[in-house]
Amino acid sequence: MLKHLFTLIWNRKRANALLIVEIFLAFVVLFVVGSLLVYRWQNYRAPLGFAYEQVWEVGLDPGIQPKAERYATQQQIIQRIKSLPGVRAVTRTGSNTPFSNSHNSSNIERPDQRIFRPPSNVYRVDDAAGDVLQVPLEEGRWFDRRDDGAPVVVISHDMKELLFPDETAVGKFVVADGKKRIVGVTATYRADGDFADPKQAIFLRNGLQDTTFEHLETLLVRVQPGAGGALEKQISADIRAIGPSWSSNITPLAEARDKQMKTVLTPLVALVITCVFLIVNVALGLFGVLWQTINQRRSEIGLRRAIGASAGGISGQILGEILVVATFGLALGLLVAAQFPLLGVLGVRVGVYGTAMALAAGLVYLLTVICALYPSRLAAGIQPAVALREE
Amino acid sequence: MLLSYFKIAWKVLQRRKFFTFISLFGISFTLMILLVVYAMYDHTVGPHTPERRVDRLLFVTHIGLWSPNSQGNSDPSYSFLNRYVRPLRTPEKISIATGGSYAVAYVGNTKLKLSLKGTDGVFWQVLDFDFLAGRPYSVQEVGTDAHVAVINESTARRYFGAVAGAVGRTIEADAVGYRVVGVVRDVPAARYLSTADIWIPLGLTVDVHEPNYFGNCMAILLAPSAEALPAMQEEFKQVMRHVPVQDPKEFTELRIYANTLLANTVRNFVSRNDDEPDDGVARFGRIAWGMALLFMLLPALNLVNLNVSRMLERSSEIGVRKAFGATAGRLVGQFLVENLFLTLVGGVLGLALAAGALALLNGSSVIEYAQFALNARVFAVALGAVLFFGLLSGVYPAYKMSKLPAIQALKGGTN
Repeated sequence: MLKHLFTLIWNRKRANALLIVEIFLAFVVLFVVGSLLVYRWQNYRAPLGFAYEQVWEVGLDPGIQPKAERYATQQQIIQRIKSLPGVRAVTRTGSNTPFSNSHNSSNIERPDQRIFRPPSNVYRVDDAAGDVLQVPLEEGRWFDRRDDGAPVVVISHDMKELLFPDETAVGKFVVADGKKRIVGVTATYRADGDFADPKQAIFLRNGLQDTTFEHLETLLVRVQPGAGGALEKQISADIRAIGPSWSSNITPLAEARDKQMKTVLTPLVALVITCVFLIVNVALGLFGVLWQTINQRRSEIGLRRAIGASAGGISGQILGEILVVATFGLALGLLVAAQFPLLGVLGVRVGVYGTAMALAAGLVYLLTVICALYPSRLAAGIQPAVALREE
Repeated sequence: MLLSYFKIAWKVLQRRKFFTFISLFGISFTLMILLVVYAMYDHTVGPHTPERRVDRLLFVTHIGLWSPNSQGNSDPSYSFLNRYVRPLRTPEKISIATGGSYAVAYVGNTKLKLSLKGTDGVFWQVLDFDFLAGRPYSVQEVGTDAHVAVINESTARRYFGAVAGAVGRTIEADAVGYRVVGVVRDVPAARYLSTADIWIPLGLTVDVHEPNYFGNCMAILLAPSAEALPAMQEEFKQVMRHVPVQDPKEFTELRIYANTLLANTVRNFVSRNDDEPDDGVARFGRIAWGMALLFMLLPALNLVNLNVSRMLERSSEIGVRKAFGATAGRLVGQFLVENLFLTLVGGVLGLALAAGALALLNGSSVIEYAQFALNARVFAVALGAVLFFGLLSGVYPAYKMSKLPAIQALKGGTN
């Protein structure tokens, strides 16, 4: 039966060519959009590796103050903010704060290995960062006063997997701006945002010798739950009081996260709307063509009914035929889709493509079945006597 | 002749309403999406306020120091632009402004976060803002670092309650008072090089004596005419070639480019390269065209499919016409005209849908101060797209129709 259907369609391949191409294109569109959606969704489900609620980012702009004086002023500001009621901890860091879309990356190596590795995110923070961002540790500890003499770092789970896959990392050395000892390993840390790929991260401790303002111009402040506008106003007033030319830009991380989500989601939503429109278009077209075909094949169907085919048999045949056409289109589409992971076109994980292929294939079959249901019932309802008399 | 074709097309459209609906749905939505995308493009880089003379403007927003081993890049500083860009001879006018920052103002206890831009006095001559009240601050006022400001309409509303009467009053941003001298219409956020909530004299926000090349400024160059733009770009290139590299021990090359608004936007948001001589506009154009074609392919195929199956309905009509001596070329012509008529109807619907979608986008605050609108350019693009689409989807069915043997067609045959 199935073989018979394939032969039928194969013999009419020229008549069906356009339909096959259409289904092929629909599959490719679904596959590409599906890959992107699955990828974003999987990233969204993974933990961030830090707590962003009740953390404020304070961007500092020293205005026209000469460079040499900026560090001292910033230290005064930090002391002042720490002493405010409602503030729990303050850390000084670069502009690559969570959700900021700002990156600082470089290649981190093991001292005994010199091989090319993908770049890692580098975060310059100080002892309080562990408290401010509440980064969970898998091994070891966050750095503190004890490390004043020696250069130390904390690395993330992903970096440990990359550099020290089968050994403990704590106590070992990495080359990051000089040779530094690892004191702790955090869980996967994804400050690039909810939808970003997990990437190796390394936290460098700001030493006492880092007495420049530049590169460490941002503060992250953990505040008490419920702190709001009044504290914000207080902080910006205090900053101005300490450095008259200074200005500040205070943003809760939750707000930065919303903003980043909006920028990632807006194009995705536009893509999905476009994709839905294309698919509806294909579905309507398919429906129209099938309907038209049934009208043209009335005599053939009438004859089949007259020599004893059941109504179910007729609608089964129509459904079967269109599913075979869909299979031809899918086979072509899968050939193209298989090139994506091989060429790495979309830059997503290989596993994502498999899921997207399955999803897209399922959707295409579902779509064809839905479109074929009404025409096939129409075909089943043809009365042999009426149809044959028309001839 | 043409009129009778249109009449036939109209009758055919009415014959099977469902099919007509499917065709029109496909055409109009395809066009709507294309038009919305184009309107966004036009909104971002087209000649709109304040860059109304966009074909005469070049922007310098990025400077890179380069060597094979290390690269550094940033916005240029005021002193760099003042020393090396300001003396250029081709430009009619040169303005220097800051890249933009934020200031906080309070209305009672509510915080207003204002985007702030420091500019020189020429800024207001190079760009064309819509002043609702007052005037821009002058070159003299910038020279004396007067505490004056131009604010936008939204800020005037939020801070003073109304546009009328805002001029002459004082706005306090980051606890510094500025006398408002002018109120301008809101500049869309997509105009990222000129937009702000409050504009103040440059000297109040940057240290103009800082000698470092890296800073947070930008320059806007106005050519005397659109034809002089390439010459201006060439002069810029020549002059920059002789600028000494800062920190020559570490870096060997200075990389700085004067870009059109389109090139700047593409560099910033699409190709993300600030240090390559190629601005990526050509590549961006190719990709955009490719995407548009690919996007139209599926609805066009759909239309071809529908047209082919609808045409078979009319095989007896075609048979009669052929029997009475109509040539294949004439039939193809008739069918193409019919199809173009259909796509034109769809195009009109698409324009209406696009207008609706853009109004919806303007209403939702997805993009700040966005004012998407249909204009003559968008309309021309729509017309072009409709004609292209009509031909794309009409040629194959018309060819197939003209090939139908007359006898078989008369009998109502299908193959």
